[in-house]
Amino acid sequence: MKKHVVSVSLGSRHRDQSGELTLLGETVRVSRQGTDGDLAEAEAMIRELDGTVDAIGLGGIDRYLVVRGRRYEIQDAVRLAHAAKRTPVVDGSGLKDTLERTIIAELDRDGWIHSGQSVLMVSAMDRFGMAETFEKLGYRLVAGDLIFSSHINYPIRSADELEEMARKLLPEVTRMPFSQLYPVGKEQTEDSDPRYARYFEEADIIAGDFHYIRRYMPPSLAGKVVVTNTTTQADVDRLREKGVRWLVTTTPVLAGRSYGTNVIEAALTAASGIGAENPRWPTVVEAAHLDGSRLKLND
Amino acid sequence: MTLLDALQQFVTECNQNARLREMNRDWTRRIQLDPDDTHQQHWLVSDAGELSAGEGAIDNPDMRIQAPEDILTQIFSGQMTPTEPYNAGDLLVRGQQDDIMRLDILTLLIWGE
Repeated sequence: MKKHVVSVSLGSRHRDQSGELTLLGETVRVSRQGTDGDLAEAEAMIRELDGTVDAIGLGGIDRYLVVRGRRYEIQDAVRLAHAAKRTPVVDGSGLKDTLERTIIAELDRDGWIHSGQSVLMVSAMDRFGMAETFEKLGYRLVAGDLIFSSHINYPIRSADELEEMARKLLPEVTRMPFSQLYPVGKEQTEDSDPRYARYFEEADIIAGDFHYIRRYMPPSLAGKVVVTNTTTQADVDRLREKGVRWLVTTTPVLAGRSYGTNVIEAALTAASGIGAENPRWPTVVEAAHLDGSRLKLND
Repeated sequence: MTLLDALQQFVTECNQNARLREMNRDWTRRIQLDPDDTHQQHWLVSDAGELSAGEGAIDNPDMRIQAPEDILTQIFSGQMTPTEPYNAGDLLVRGQQDDIMRLDILTLLIWGE
């Protein structure tokens, strides 16, 4: 019997989609259901799905932010996760900290990106593994966590500084309402805001959360490499128009859509019966051969 | 410690910290503090990242922060984070969400951990 997983997202309903994935020889039906930022609706939806599907993904919100082995928990996500008593609820952080490190190392090894290039990570506290890998491989890192989430025009320029900031900020910030920290619902479809265009212009590689990229990207991204996920076909077309050279997604593409890490982690949990807490998880991720995608958009 | 002592300590910490000055270089705001028990108003001003503080009212504030004086003193001296009194309803902040978040971040970067 096919496994079935559902991603309950705080994002826009306009991005809902469903499809099938084959992982570890199992076919998994995946669907994404947006709630336009309505936390109460998301909680009710998870309660209703509990016990009826094989895994639930939390979309548009992280539960865990993992920074150098220290794990910070966003309280609004904890509330959502606790709405399910029987079905595992995952947020994608189990993949971000494993798969995304590997994908960056492979891009570098294969010559798609080059040591010494500058990387803008629009947010990195939610993708510390990726940020750390870029830095270890010799890329010049700019993390825009304060710029894009709080409009404080201060680029974080190293993984050490990022870790220091996380240690000071995250214990408290994770207790704040999530809507104060990250665009949810209709905020995700607001018009472009070019205030911080120079950080995009100065970067060779733009990486991280697609909602921040979409919201703040300038009119031209000519020649850039973009590393992200959750893109739709319309997003891909828009990046092509802006001149992006390569689009790399860290999750597989199905019918033109790259799903969120939470969806893929839910599918992998359902297919393997093993969650990210299990010491065997990295082996499961490796065995699943989750390659993501590399798409040439312009010469 | 009085509220004025706490604000002056906060101002000194911000002004002497190169990273915080860089963060606030484009931030010019007038903030009114309204203790709802003692009614002894205080102010905090950022002029392109150069902070100052004093007693009394300020004209045309961009932001108003209302709480018992002891809570305001504890927040600006790093003995309490703003989240707890805010969630308990003891701290009322009126202003732009970005400014509120920035003040939270400044206090956490000075006294966090």
